[in-house]
Amino acid sequence: MKKSDKTNHLIDMSFKSVAIKDPLKMDDTIAANYRGYVILDPDKDFVLKDETGKILENSCPTHAITYQNDDSNLKIHLDNGKCILCGNCQVKSPELIKITNKFDLAKKRRDDLIETFSMSVPFGKTYDELGQELKSKINKIFGRSLTIREIDAGSCNGCEIEINALNNSVYDIERFGITFVASPRHADILLVTGPASKNMERALKIAYDSTPNPKIVIAVGACACSGGIFGNNYATTGGIDSIVPVNVYIPGCPPRPQALLYGILMAINKI
Amino acid sequence: MSHKEIISKYYSKLERFDSDIKKIENNNELHLVLNDPNKLHDFCKFLKQDFDLRLLTIICCDERKLNHGFKIRHVFGSDTDDFFLFVTIFIDESHPHFPSLYDVFPSSILYEREINDMFGLTAKENPNIKPLILHDFPNNVFPLRKDFNLNDDVKRNLKQFEFTPITGEGVCEIPVGPIHAGIIEPGHFRFSVLGETIINLETRLGYTHKGIEKLAENMPINDVVFLSERISGDESIANSVAFCQAIEKIAQLTIPQKAKQIRLLFAELERIYNHFGTLGGILSDVGFPYGASRLNILKEQIMQLNERLSGSRILFGVNQIGGVKINITDEMLIDIHFVLDDAFQIFEKIFDHLKSNPSVMDRLRNTGIIEKQLARDLGLVGISSRCIGIETDARQTHPYGYYPSINLKQKTLRETMEHQVELQKRIGDVLSRFMSRVDDLRQSKAIIGSITTLKGDGLSVSMGDELIPYSSGLGYAESHRGETLHWVMIGEDNSIFRYKIRTASFSNWPVIEHAVLNNIVADFPVINKSFDFSYSGNDL
Repeated sequence: MKKSDKTNHLIDMSFKSVAIKDPLKMDDTIAANYRGYVILDPDKDFVLKDETGKILENSCPTHAITYQNDDSNLKIHLDNGKCILCGNCQVKSPELIKITNKFDLAKKRRDDLIETFSMSVPFGKTYDELGQELKSKINKIFGRSLTIREIDAGSCNGCEIEINALNNSVYDIERFGITFVASPRHADILLVTGPASKNMERALKIAYDSTPNPKIVIAVGACACSGGIFGNNYATTGGIDSIVPVNVYIPGCPPRPQALLYGILMAINKI
Repeated sequence: MSHKEIISKYYSKLERFDSDIKKIENNNELHLVLNDPNKLHDFCKFLKQDFDLRLLTIICCDERKLNHGFKIRHVFGSDTDDFFLFVTIFIDESHPHFPSLYDVFPSSILYEREINDMFGLTAKENPNIKPLILHDFPNNVFPLRKDFNLNDDVKRNLKQFEFTPITGEGVCEIPVGPIHAGIIEPGHFRFSVLGETIINLETRLGYTHKGIEKLAENMPINDVVFLSERISGDESIANSVAFCQAIEKIAQLTIPQKAKQIRLLFAELERIYNHFGTLGGILSDVGFPYGASRLNILKEQIMQLNERLSGSRILFGVNQIGGVKINITDEMLIDIHFVLDDAFQIFEKIFDHLKSNPSVMDRLRNTGIIEKQLARDLGLVGISSRCIGIETDARQTHPYGYYPSINLKQKTLRETMEHQVELQKRIGDVLSRFMSRVDDLRQSKAIIGSITTLKGDGLSVSMGDELIPYSSGLGYAESHRGETLHWVMIGEDNSIFRYKIRTASFSNWPVIEHAVLNNIVADFPVINKSFDFSYSGNDL
């Protein structure tokens, strides 16, 4: 029996670099069955029926799927900002819903996360290419490192695990000139996770106000985009954008490190 | 001993209370209903002295709809027997008070504060009844009461939280948080220092409170599994297993052996990747980044394995009520064994390196010491109690799932002796917790290693029809932080009437206030990391 080739380079105790070469590449580092992004990708002979729509709508624990029936014009809307990637909908209607292992899902506008029957365009860049692109942009705009302050506004700590992973030797985000700083006063970007619990509302506002202009706010994870599974209840506010203006939304539960890097690149492109 | 024998063993000694109590048995749970709430204090004193039971949690439930008023269940557990004792009292709405157990079980202070916040029932004698979880909440709104709706808009007024004032010549206060310098969860720490030395610490948590327990009452039962995974992202398997087992206990389901095996494999993988991460965190907090980055590579490697197996890097979406959703094939099992063999080979090399590095060992040794008596009083579980020689492990005391079928290699007499000597060195400092985690890691590896063949009997069974309304069950699991308890009461139409979650973090958090005393401020991060509590799992 052979060892898995995918992991071999990680467990070598030598001094050679373990950083993955092409973090934004879709092929080898991401498992084929990784649940990254839900798309509406109907089979050729798929016909949307009234009952399928209703079943799909009810199958979603976070109400990310909405079904519309106006005058026999049937529509399925899929809000990736709410999706927690549970896979329920795929079980209910595998001919329409596909779960891909993609991570290039960050969007600049909240509405862009909502999909209505569309085919997706494949994304070709690797993690390394994305990182290098980011590095040259950061150099051009700032002439120095890009600094990020992470704020947990009530997340379950899943997103923190992935943000921490950006700093490990494998993803090693510092090689692209991105550093995490200890104070919002030193930051260019606020990376905010969690459904914005009401108890963190004030602290988040203060941190936002302390960040020097120009500042970028990135909402990380389904909770930060829309409230996620926690929604909008007595203890949560239903998304970061109800408290501070958000520039880029990165959906996912949690978004993998590549998705975070892609979202940061998108945020830089906005300046 | 069977559950029935254990229960009768305990109940036989309770005969002198016969006139005051009513007895209900349920699997390994013994429910005793006290007629008079005022007798609770004496009764619990007796439980502690004669049975040496631990207070596990206090569950309050608003059963006014069923004409029971409020029911408060005190849950006790034993360190040796697979047995849970529920002592129930009724509280009428017109007298919203109940007796405090603070002088018998000091750990009860926290649970009583929680009940005060969420239900508005006050433990009169409790010396510290400050708000715990809700910040700036009005005094007459109680979220877990049934007349409060999940989406009710609560008008919050900014209130100053009263920290215990510590005064004296040269005493300074250092406020830290809720937003910390690192990439961690929010919480506030108020240090009082004399020079460099911490003389008092008061924690204020609750910043990540998301209303999980209330939310569960408004969700379909199958969706609550997803919610339970998100109680604390890094404990997703432990929490969802505990929840599923509670429901399976109520529905009297027997899940397939293969599903049990898969749950066990994922639970141990979760333990392994988190322990790697925590050990790495401890090392980076003492300024040894070489070890930290090596261990974080191992953590990443296990997370990539998780992804290949389950489609999620932190193991979301594995469990469902009645079994599991993810299949593990023989090929995947080989993958697991290969990756772990390699990872542990590297780990042992790193560990040898660390042991021979005096600058690391010196920072860990004698830092953040806790006393054995303190650990007992606070009811610590998991690594925090094992570091001082109190063996609490739900996998052993309350064997669940596939754990009873695991046969680890018997230790030789010499190995046992050596282990005992090693345990004597555990004095409750950061080093002891470091070593306990290493032990835990090796044990997890051995447990996974003992699974060489997978059974072939399906992944899940269906839940069947409607569950009996107002039946309840306690689910439990051992997360990498310690014993996790989930108590579920079913309502009408398969809804959830009450979902009480007690993670290991909740029962362990108070210890940090004691562990940092007489240490320097600069050692706080490493002490905190050595316990590795979840803020989200505490605040819910």
